[in-house]
Amino acid sequence: MGREVAESCVDGVVMQMVAAYCGGFYAAKPELAARRIEAIGFQVGHQLTERYTMERPRFSDHLEAIKFICKDFWSELFKKQIDNLKTNHRGTFVLQDNRFRWLTRVSVDPSVESMDATENDSTTLGDSAAQTTSMLLYFPCGIIRGALTNLGISCSVTADMSNLPACELHHFSCLLHTMQHHEAA
Amino acid sequence: MIVCVAVVGHQNNPLYLQSFTEADDALKLHHVVHCSLDVIDERVNNPKRNAPALNETFLGLLYPTENYKVYGYLTNTKVKFIMVTTDLDVKDADARNFFRKFHAAYVDAVSNPFHVPGKKIASRSFGARVSTIVKSFGSGTTA
Repeated sequence: MGREVAESCVDGVVMQMVAAYCGGFYAAKPELAARRIEAIGFQVGHQLTERYTMERPRFSDHLEAIKFICKDFWSELFKKQIDNLKTNHRGTFVLQDNRFRWLTRVSVDPSVESMDATENDSTTLGDSAAQTTSMLLYFPCGIIRGALTNLGISCSVTADMSNLPACELHHFSCLLHTMQHHEAA
Repeated sequence: MIVCVAVVGHQNNPLYLQSFTEADDALKLHHVVHCSLDVIDERVNNPKRNAPALNETFLGLLYPTENYKVYGYLTNTKVKFIMVTTDLDVKDADARNFFRKFHAAYVDAVSNPFHVPGKKIASRSFGARVSTIVKSFGSGTTA
């Protein structure tokens, strides 16, 4: 019954979307481009939760919903569960994925990079590679935020891969602030 | 026979409301649906009475009136499905089955990228699919 899509198609669509928004529509305003991409992800996540939670009992609390995101939702989207979940018990969750599927096939063209960068040392290369890759993460962040919002948890989701070396771009951790917990605290 | 089905959003906003009767009693049925929202709220907030069925999506019989029986279903995303039937001996399994199909139709309808979340479902194919499900429910109980 379930229809499937080739993974390479998803990779291609995400990359094209980022390229279209960052290079075409909003070339001068990267923040606006990021917001637009995040909004697309939000709608996708919103619709996906509706489908993926169809056959399961209702979640009794927030932690259960977040566990669902970490395990089932993550496996459906990224073919694996997250590697680490941390929380400060005040509404902030850190989801860590050491091999984030959507980034495993990202590579940065060194010839383009060397033209952009004035000095072709590894730090500049790493910096702009990280910048390019971080644009790719707004879409999955939007998906996760959309999913949680639809489950009744309003939150902000940010991706973080800054503290990692450029050669390991597929590390991905996402910081999750849930609003309701903050208000209660 | 199912006389009315409804989909209600998480803020109790109607997403889809359709009655299946010849007579001019749509308003009455809508009133029945409206009343059942309170029953759902009560069920969810005070789940003591049906403790074993805690957190199940299918809420079972919400309340019987003189002519109707009202069944409810609540998803993880707080979308409510309500079904009003004139059959007085409905099997739980049949109702469950109906809601499962109804939910699947709803999920397909909202996955349409042109659907705006929180707005009424205007899709004609969704309407057609729901009427098929409603009709098959009637035939399933008599057979």
